[in-house]
Amino acid sequence: MKQKSFLYVLLLIIGLTIISAFVSNSQLESATEIIMILAAFKLLLVAFYFMDLRHANVFWKVLLIGGLTIFINLILII
Amino acid sequence: MSTITQQHQTKDILYPPGGILMWIIIYLELLTFGAVLIAMVWYSKDEPELFHQSRIQLNTTFGAINTLFLLVSGYFMALTVGALKIQNITKSKIYLKLTMVGGLLFLGLKTVEYLDKIEAGLTMGYNTFFSFYWMLTLFHVIHVLVGLVILASVLRAMIKKPEELILEDVEASATFWHMCDLIWLLLFPVIYLVF
Repeated sequence: MKQKSFLYVLLLIIGLTIISAFVSNSQLESATEIIMILAAFKLLLVAFYFMDLRHANVFWKVLLIGGLTIFINLILII
Repeated sequence: MSTITQQHQTKDILYPPGGILMWIIIYLELLTFGAVLIAMVWYSKDEPELFHQSRIQLNTTFGAINTLFLLVSGYFMALTVGALKIQNITKSKIYLKLTMVGGLLFLGLKTVEYLDKIEAGLTMGYNTFFSFYWMLTLFHVIHVLVGLVILASVLRAMIKKPEELILEDVEASATFWHMCDLIWLLLFPVIYLVF
């Protein structure tokens, strides 16, 4: 069961990477926002599933999500 | 079948999976790379055309394939730890070897990309964009190299002294390897896609 869930997560991340590449080549006005949000989502999937962060204390989860939110916002605001 | 030693597995704040020291390192690394990426975006506002023209000289396909190599490698790393938790050293060794193959493929393609850039004269001093490109990607490559050395030592222990293997040590090594994924997942969109 765990092996299967890892595989689903991997396929989801690969799918999101392909979407990012397509968005990057599109003429969408909000392409940067979409690409960065997808990148943040992929990073969280790796951390929570592959690195097992979902079983860690809430402090570590909040720290990662908070830091990532600040980073993405700074990239988009500048 | 060998017995893998496991010392802690709690939701205690002091024991995140992989160890507290590794997670402190991860946050510091993400902070460092994040700060440089923010600086890169900041500088791009002064020379938007130069950054755009430089960005389109990068091979996005290479970047995307390298993302896949690292992600698949990370997947096998997660399977390595999973197999070890159920005491299946044989499967664990296979998964770990596949993890390392992913890392080596990443380095191989990165080498091709670097040679391509050097041949085209797009070296570190070429312009601001390429200074950031080389600094960030080379620093990441160093992490991948260190990660591969760590994984090689874990594999050696699995083969030679499986009875002395400590699950937390393998988890810490796996966490370091996943950190290379995390850093790349920040670098790839900003350097290869955004400008």
